[in-house]
Amino acid sequence: MLIIRQLSRSFREGNRIHRVLDRADARIATGEIVAIIGRSGSGKSTLLNLISGIDQPDSGFIEFDGREITMLREPERTLFRRRNIGFVYQFFNLVPTLDVEENVRLMLELNGVRGREARRRAAAMLGEVGLAERRHSAVDTLSGGEQQRVAIARALVHEPRLILADEPTGNLDEETAQQVILLLLSLVRTRGATLLIVTHDYDVTASAQRVLELREGRLHEVGAPAYGAFAGGS
Amino acid sequence: MRTLWAASLRHLLRHPAQLALALLGLALGVATVIAVDIAVASSRRAFELSMQAVNGAATHQIVAGPEGVDEELYAKLKRQRWPLDLAPVVEGYVAVGGRTLQLVGYDLFADPAFRDEGTRRDLPDDGESEAIERLARWITEPGAAMLSASTAAELGLAPGSAFEVLVGGQSYPAELVATLDDAAGGATMLLTDIAQAQEWLASAGRLTRIDVRAPPGEAGEKALEDLRDLLPAGTDLREARQRAAQNLDLTAAFTTNLQAMSLLALLVSIFLIYSAVSFAVVQRRRSIGILRALGATRGGVLGIVLAEAAVLGCMGAVLGIALGTLIGRELIALVSRTINDLYFVVSVREVVLPTGSIVKALASGIGVALVAAALPAAEVANSAPQLGLRRSVLEGRTLRLSYVLLFASLLLAAAAVAIVWLSSRSLFAGFVALLLLLASVAALTPAALRAFALLLARLSGRASPLMRLAFGDVAASLSRTGVAVAALGMAVAAMIGVSVMVESFRESLREWLERTMRADVYVSAPGPGFGRPERRLEPEVVSAILAVPGIANHSATRSVIVESAEHGPVPLSALDPAPESFEGIQLVAGEPERVWREFREGAIVVSEPLAWRMQLEPGDRLVLLTPTGARAFDVAGVYREYGNDRGTTYMDRAVYRSLWGDDAITSLGLYLTPGVSAQSVIPRLRAAVQDRQILLIRSNEELREISMRIFDRTFVITRVLYWLTAGVAAIALVSALLAWELERARELAILRSLGLTPAGSAVMIEAQTAFMGFAALLAAIPAGLAAAVLLIDVINRRAFGWRIDLHVDPAQIGDALLLSLTAALVAGLYPAWRAGRVPLASEIREE
Repeated sequence: MLIIRQLSRSFREGNRIHRVLDRADARIATGEIVAIIGRSGSGKSTLLNLISGIDQPDSGFIEFDGREITMLREPERTLFRRRNIGFVYQFFNLVPTLDVEENVRLMLELNGVRGREARRRAAAMLGEVGLAERRHSAVDTLSGGEQQRVAIARALVHEPRLILADEPTGNLDEETAQQVILLLLSLVRTRGATLLIVTHDYDVTASAQRVLELREGRLHEVGAPAYGAFAGGS
Repeated sequence: MRTLWAASLRHLLRHPAQLALALLGLALGVATVIAVDIAVASSRRAFELSMQAVNGAATHQIVAGPEGVDEELYAKLKRQRWPLDLAPVVEGYVAVGGRTLQLVGYDLFADPAFRDEGTRRDLPDDGESEAIERLARWITEPGAAMLSASTAAELGLAPGSAFEVLVGGQSYPAELVATLDDAAGGATMLLTDIAQAQEWLASAGRLTRIDVRAPPGEAGEKALEDLRDLLPAGTDLREARQRAAQNLDLTAAFTTNLQAMSLLALLVSIFLIYSAVSFAVVQRRRSIGILRALGATRGGVLGIVLAEAAVLGCMGAVLGIALGTLIGRELIALVSRTINDLYFVVSVREVVLPTGSIVKALASGIGVALVAAALPAAEVANSAPQLGLRRSVLEGRTLRLSYVLLFASLLLAAAAVAIVWLSSRSLFAGFVALLLLLASVAALTPAALRAFALLLARLSGRASPLMRLAFGDVAASLSRTGVAVAALGMAVAAMIGVSVMVESFRESLREWLERTMRADVYVSAPGPGFGRPERRLEPEVVSAILAVPGIANHSATRSVIVESAEHGPVPLSALDPAPESFEGIQLVAGEPERVWREFREGAIVVSEPLAWRMQLEPGDRLVLLTPTGARAFDVAGVYREYGNDRGTTYMDRAVYRSLWGDDAITSLGLYLTPGVSAQSVIPRLRAAVQDRQILLIRSNEELREISMRIFDRTFVITRVLYWLTAGVAAIALVSALLAWELERARELAILRSLGLTPAGSAVMIEAQTAFMGFAALLAAIPAGLAAAVLLIDVINRRAFGWRIDLHVDPAQIGDALLLSLTAALVAGLYPAWRAGRVPLASEIREE
């Protein structure tokens, strides 16, 4: 269970304080797939950064499976993130000096899985995302869709309980985006992990069990009609 | 195009730290060259001015051996009717208030027109009648002398002050009758009337030389021919310029060594600029790729990068000239002290920055920057526009380049060996070989680093994934890490080479002193310079010394400079050795029994430096000018010597006395009766000579200690240059690694977001930089030892002629280890600190 309570975060822009999150609340059950929508700059990425412990809130708290993330200090936050969270970014964020398999294996090794076992699991994961043949390629020689599949493999290989995806299809063409999202949803469902996915894509929200809209710093539960209005009435 | 230039400028300004490090490194490289040029040029200029002040307008000089020229000859020549101006000169070295001065005795009335360009113009001009009165006192009063105003002030003397002049251990009262203008060159001179100088130097009736001024043209040539015909045996006519050049040539090897070391600093700075410029290019590869995609031509992009480098080089050179002038002022003291210790007395009053050096600094600054920028500029210009965006393409090319460099490294090393092999005596070729060897190390480094890093990544992968990632990253970022490690490796190799050479030299000298100095106590007349005739032990003092109980045996030496028509001045030690002395002379050519038998029969034994310089070996002959004319001496053998880089000739003292008629003794070596200690005899010796002559009486240990101290002082300048080079290398490493780590900031942020802790990232960065420092050291150790062999067996041999035994001690690598690891760890500090604090959210947000 992921609990977000009274979460606030603001940024200073010159002399102005920009409040991105303002006492946001949400409860997300284990294994749920939740889409988060909102206008650009509404704080969607900030919310994911706070949940993963990459960023720290001004106030409020986040609890995941009974553990209050916001109370953790470095390096506990990092260790928590390493074990429990898989992250998929819009711009992939692969390590350019590691090849495809090494990028995936890195997460296992960070979690103490080494040697043959790590190689076996990385290879299996790459097989699941359809990149077994490219496992020794340099990451910047891959297409955008392939790079995102590597990122998905990396996010899932260590079996995290929470997957955070920040506009994972935002940098891909429509067809590739569809393939990638189907792959992500399928893999997450198979593993029974919780998925929070920030998106502007209607198809993605349609596949989610719940949709939360981030508006004026707060999370609002929205149904399909409301989202239809937000997305332009389609 | 204006926008392109604006983009370029803005990029540089947005990375001020990177810009500052690049400028500092280049400035330091140029500054080292300028500083050495200033120190050498200022010392040479001071010497030239002092020669000019002493020689005046002389075109030629009549010289003789240590006995000097008979003043009767001057009187005879003066009576001739010819267009030659003549002036007698008596010269020697004296000490006043602990300071060494050149005593110059003039005959003021010898030729009033003679010294228009010399000392005469410096005589005091304080009213005609007073000047005449002072000059009259200078000529007539015993002990009357003149000094330059600044030297007098430094010694606390004013006109009318009485002072003491110490000549070869004898003390004489003197009075300052006037001070001279502080004209250049006069600072080290003590001027007296010629008769006074003869009295102080105990050379009554003898002149050091006769200066000759011949008019240009046929009349002058004819008169010089006539003069040659009139010269008696044992005297010779030499060109004044040639004599001055011979003296200056003595320092040539010393100054060449300094200049070569300063060039090394500049060479290391090439890597620094390369790293800075290529970093700037790589940082902008995305925007340059976009510009190329939009239509910017290859030439346009290449032009911008090269122009940027040229501006950087120009700024670095200007800064380097300013910094070099400051460092040069400090180096002057070190260089002139070494010249004073080893060659001749100079007092540098004027800082000389030769125009050629400024041109050299600007050309080398800009040239170095352009050479360094050429590769990254060509890289980016030749990339297809979309490839400009890809890191893997750059690294792929670097990897291929590293294989080419590996091959080039072998060629460079082979070229170095070939040059040494083919050039038998050229010092310049020796330095070229050394630079090729160091370049070979630099070329080898990237491929070796990659192989080493991959091996460690593989080995450490089982133990720690972080370490595997760290080492793997070093191998995968060869375009950055290869340059940094190559620069450091080259500098560290040079440091190890110089360090091993200096320590080997020191150890060889120590062993040589231990072997050569057999006597228990040494007694000598004080004074600067080898072979000064005024350094002599008074005969009654010698008798008093030898009468002291406890002395079992003794050796006597007369050290002088004799003349050779072919080679100029030749240092000569006339030996009357004790039987024990022979064991101390290490012959490197010639069978001892035969050598010493022939020595007793009149042959000479020459030292290694002299044999090298004059290309002599046993069986050859050396022609020396004796009072009875030129005489050829057989060379019986060659002995090892480190005491004098001009070399020395040993001659039996009986032979010398019979030919030169000089009975004087410069120094004595006393062998004590077994059981008698030097400490007990020295006070008795001092008591025996008290009130007769001030002498240097030292025990064997004390003299060896002094010799080692002088050696260490001589190499202070080498160590200063060594640390300046090390400084440039350290900046190169810090700059390159800092650039690399900053370039990886996003990558580190990604790792942090994936779960790498701040401490973990700091450890990883420090491990990477420490590894690179260590890798540079590993590459540098064999290369440094090879450089040491080259420095010892080729460069020192060719510069000075002596052979040094290689002494390698792990401690000699201590400085290099310290530099490599400290620079590497320091380079990692800021990125490590930054990696732990970087705002991850913004760093990983987007490309």
